[in-house]
Amino acid sequence: MQLEAAPRGSRLRTRLGAAACLLLASSAAHAQAPDSTANTLEASTLLYGENKRTNVLEPAARFTHLFGGGQILSAELGLDVMTGATPTGARASNQVQTVTSASGSTSTSGTEIPTAHFKDARGVFDLGLQTPLGRLLRAEAGAHVSREKDYRSLGGTARLSADLFQRLVTVSAGGGYDDDGVFPVGGTPEGLTIDRGVVRYDVQPKRVETATVGISRILTRRWMVSLDASRTRERGYLTEPYKIVTIVTSEEGIPVATVTEKRPATRVRRSLLGSSVYHLEKDILYLTYRYYWDDWGLRSHTADARYRIELPAETFLQPHVRFYTQSAADLFTFGLRDDQPLPPYASSDQRLGPLRSVTLGATVGFRVPSQPGRFTLRAEWIHQWGRVGTAGGIQSGPPVDLFPPLEIGTLVAGYSVGF
Amino acid sequence: MRAFVRGIRAAVLLAALAALTGGCAATIKPWDRDLMAQKQMSFIPIPMERAIDDHVYFSKEGSTGGSGIAGGGCGCN
Repeated sequence: MQLEAAPRGSRLRTRLGAAACLLLASSAAHAQAPDSTANTLEASTLLYGENKRTNVLEPAARFTHLFGGGQILSAELGLDVMTGATPTGARASNQVQTVTSASGSTSTSGTEIPTAHFKDARGVFDLGLQTPLGRLLRAEAGAHVSREKDYRSLGGTARLSADLFQRLVTVSAGGGYDDDGVFPVGGTPEGLTIDRGVVRYDVQPKRVETATVGISRILTRRWMVSLDASRTRERGYLTEPYKIVTIVTSEEGIPVATVTEKRPATRVRRSLLGSSVYHLEKDILYLTYRYYWDDWGLRSHTADARYRIELPAETFLQPHVRFYTQSAADLFTFGLRDDQPLPPYASSDQRLGPLRSVTLGATVGFRVPSQPGRFTLRAEWIHQWGRVGTAGGIQSGPPVDLFPPLEIGTLVAGYSVGF
Repeated sequence: MRAFVRGIRAAVLLAALAALTGGCAATIKPWDRDLMAQKQMSFIPIPMERAIDDHVYFSKEGSTGGSGIAGGGCGCN
């Protein structure tokens, strides 16, 4: 089938030249190969800030080497430095609330969401290897180790991809396994107790198994699409050890006590991701949609669009917009009533609540004259807000905002150079 | 109701798979794949930026998953 008008003159020569490389390189699912140089060094730094809450500095560096046989080895080292305040899960009220945490005490007054100060650092090391297996098969394997003050992780991944139908279609299947450990500062509290119950000081295991399958297809000279499905099973200690749940009076909704939160010991997450990349005359449009659901009752929809505008002098501008909405997990509550027995599980962690968020931002990529490498700068704004009244909470009580909106600003600086 | 939702989900999945694999006899000649060879013609054109996004949203939302495998090990959620 002829999809485009027949090329002429120099255009034909250009295409034939490209075709020689493409017979080996082009497939529906691009491997993340570096540029034509054997080595590529990439560095990035994330600056993340929330209004009155958490700040994060996250530098990372990645080295990639392309071997003569087509194998690609990559190694990445990253560091997260986090400071600031995080919501405790306690319900906002008109009364002063004092929270004692590993980092000290915090008093929250007025109608603010109670928060606790924290400070943590996380180091992570990733190693990855891609290798062709014959002409049409490709294998990938990876391993990571990370460590922070109260959490450690050791994991591995593997994936096999195959190109079919003259490389128009790529199918892949993979899996991953993480062996994590949780060791909260001050010990692991017992769930749903007022005084933290019997505190344990041993490491709480958490294991994560992931399986993915995917198919991608080149539809036309300009357009390719993919569909990925994933299933993740988590087992072990899935509770947030520092989060609490407020118990309120049944009539006025006034806080009278707090208990530690408690979550189930298993969680099965599933997702479907559809992606599209379309090359216009010069620009490129990236679209994705993800549907997610899990056995805690949480459902979400995520739509993401990026539009890469090619500018002169190897510069590009890429606006980005993202919409996200999730329903509350079954165990989420804005507070427990003092006239009812405790449920088997409960959490007031807003990340399990009925929230929405929108992201607006843009990336600019450019070269500096007479300097090697490429630079990228990205600035984004994230607005996250809750939908109070749609979850099984207590709606009476003082006129306070149980789910105040959160403003987040991020700045990412990146640099990539081949040698 | 849940069975109905599952049925709809399976139908959408099958339709998408059929669309992805259907008409595979049609081909796009090698000289028509010049655009596909560009590095930016990838589902994840800037991998390090995407990794940052995954980490940020994993720490602020209840969902995770997509085309990647495992969460990379983080106690942030």
